Amino acid sequence: MIPRLFKPKQETGTSDIVVDGARKTGGSPRARVLMTMAVFFVIYAVIAGRLIYFGIIDPEESGGPESRVTASRPDIVDRNGEVLATDIKTASLFAEPRRIVDTDEAIERLQTILPDLDVEQTYRKLKSGTGFVWLRRQLTPRQQNDIMALGIPGIGFRTEKRRFYPGGPTAAHIVGLVNIDNRGIAGLEKYIDDQGLADLQESGLATAGDLKSVRLSIDLRVQHIVRDEISVALEKYHAIAAGAVVLNAKTGEIIAMASVPDFDPNNPFNAQDKDRLNRMSAGLYEMGSTIKSFTTAMALDSGQVTLESKFDASRPITIGGQTIRDFHGKGRVLTVPEVFIYSSNIGSAKEADVVGIEGHREFLHRVGLLDRMDTELPEVARPTEPRVWKKVHSITAAFGHGFSTTPLQTAVAAASLMNGGYLFAPTFLPRSQEQAIAEAKKVVDERTSADMRYLYRLNAEKGSGKRAEVPGYRVGGKTGTAEKVVNGRYSGDKRFNAFLAAFPMDDPQYIVLSIIDEPKPEKPGMGATAGLNAAPIVANIIRRSASMLGVKPDFGHENAPTLVSYQ
Amino acid sequence: MFRTSDIVLIAVMVAAAAFTYKTKHDAENRLDEIGKLEAAIRTEEDTITILKADWSLLTQPTRLQKLSEIYASELNLQPVQANQIVGLDDLPVKPIEIEDLSNQPLGGMAEGPAKDQTVTGGIVQ
Repeated sequence: MIPRLFKPKQETGTSDIVVDGARKTGGSPRARVLMTMAVFFVIYAVIAGRLIYFGIIDPEESGGPESRVTASRPDIVDRNGEVLATDIKTASLFAEPRRIVDTDEAIERLQTILPDLDVEQTYRKLKSGTGFVWLRRQLTPRQQNDIMALGIPGIGFRTEKRRFYPGGPTAAHIVGLVNIDNRGIAGLEKYIDDQGLADLQESGLATAGDLKSVRLSIDLRVQHIVRDEISVALEKYHAIAAGAVVLNAKTGEIIAMASVPDFDPNNPFNAQDKDRLNRMSAGLYEMGSTIKSFTTAMALDSGQVTLESKFDASRPITIGGQTIRDFHGKGRVLTVPEVFIYSSNIGSAKEADVVGIEGHREFLHRVGLLDRMDTELPEVARPTEPRVWKKVHSITAAFGHGFSTTPLQTAVAAASLMNGGYLFAPTFLPRSQEQAIAEAKKVVDERTSADMRYLYRLNAEKGSGKRAEVPGYRVGGKTGTAEKVVNGRYSGDKRFNAFLAAFPMDDPQYIVLSIIDEPKPEKPGMGATAGLNAAPIVANIIRRSASMLGVKPDFGHENAPTLVSYQ
Repeated sequence: MFRTSDIVLIAVMVAAAAFTYKTKHDAENRLDEIGKLEAAIRTEEDTITILKADWSLLTQPTRLQKLSEIYASELNLQPVQANQIVGLDDLPVKPIEIEDLSNQPLGGMAEGPAKDQTVTGGIVQ
């Protein structure tokens, strides 16, 4: 077809000039055709090349910095499934000023969603001509949706995962903290990472959907009560710190544990402060008279002492330049129950003497008071004891001085005295009774345990623990008012008070231990001993939480004697 | 010029091309749909997480305690005392009540002197 089209032209151009012209422009018609084809080919090649070029080049870099990839973490829930810690996604709004078509319009429309947007500042930001500016961090999902619906060009969102603790400071010391990369740095968050989550995250396998939530043994309601009570006590007694723990005596599960002052894990600017540490597991204290429980149990367990044994507490003991006196001295021979309820230092020292120095030390190790506690929480202090035990160390240790231990492990050791002699490693994860017994270590006799239950109940009825009494719940306990060491000497006015309790005493289910550091008298003229401040904390905790812990009130034990006395 | 077999083959080819195109187009549509659904699921999941967090924030014992303290006088709220908690066994047996049936209408034939509609000679008298 093409040659035919060109033919007439060829025929008309037979003159020399035309031939000449034809020769100049390429000679034969065939060449002209090739020429035309070449031109078109070049044009199309350019177009095709351009297309390929556009296809290959990456679209212009946009969006500013890469969004921080934060690792997913499992939710942490309490024993009833209430959320203690969870991941939430938050969106942050950014703009790319170069891509914004109409700045005024963009601001005007954004204002309909974000009424508090600073117009002048935003205008300056958007006119700055930089590639990327943040407009607003952490929008609510609703705001994000609304802004998206506006369809303003040149703005976008970055989503970030953030750890959120709905309870705030309620269980701060137990749950712990994460750092900016969502890695656990304290508490059980750290424990979860150490259990292999960190490796999973590194290999990119930890996706939000696959992570099962971690259930703890904590009961959020009881945890709240404990924290509420110690916060009130901190104020009321003008103390520098207070703490309490509720421990299941049959399984070693920690139901609640709090220490104030604490911190808010959602805004942990002061979490590293020294006075905000978890005193229950990371604070070392000379526990004072509460340790007499263990001295008495040790004496009873040795088989050489029974509840009827008598100790002469009429004269103070002088050893190595120190004189051991009784705070509530009776100045006479005391039976074992009397030594316990009058909290006699002299009597306790003599009880320890029965067992001997090595035996005493061995017993304290056996109930775990002198070894580092084995539990999930990373913040655990190592107890301190004298390097070499001499007679004076055994005597002072008998009433809780001269060695330091953590309040939590004191509560755990007390559980073993109450539950028939089983010592558990305390746990923050749910554990059944069978599991607990299987892993437990038997430290004292069943009979010793029964005697100790009797003594605890007796002390709450007649001794220093009267203020811990809660009608219906059969509380038993031991007070401890320890003098604090200031500059190497025992101070007369700085005290560390504790109350170690168990309830219900006919078959103890729970151990409650409260501590209060340097309490002052509630009102001038009143005392500041453990019976007046630490015991009421325990009483309040039990009164408020017993029904949640499933302990049924029983007035039968109290009614019987009162009825007789009324007649 | 064209044989019948050619025409048939061409028709088959065109049909096959059309079919392939349609299948591909459908698949792409489906893929778009899946993408949209997945995005919607993600949004829903995120919303669920946030609502859960909201819920636990609103049911925090700390908050509930504050609320109950604020409304204590208005709603006449009191802490539960131990002696108010009893088991089923402790409940006294419900006393047996004997209903006084003497005042109730008896109904039926026993209901008083019914008027007999049948008039007999003896009554008329």
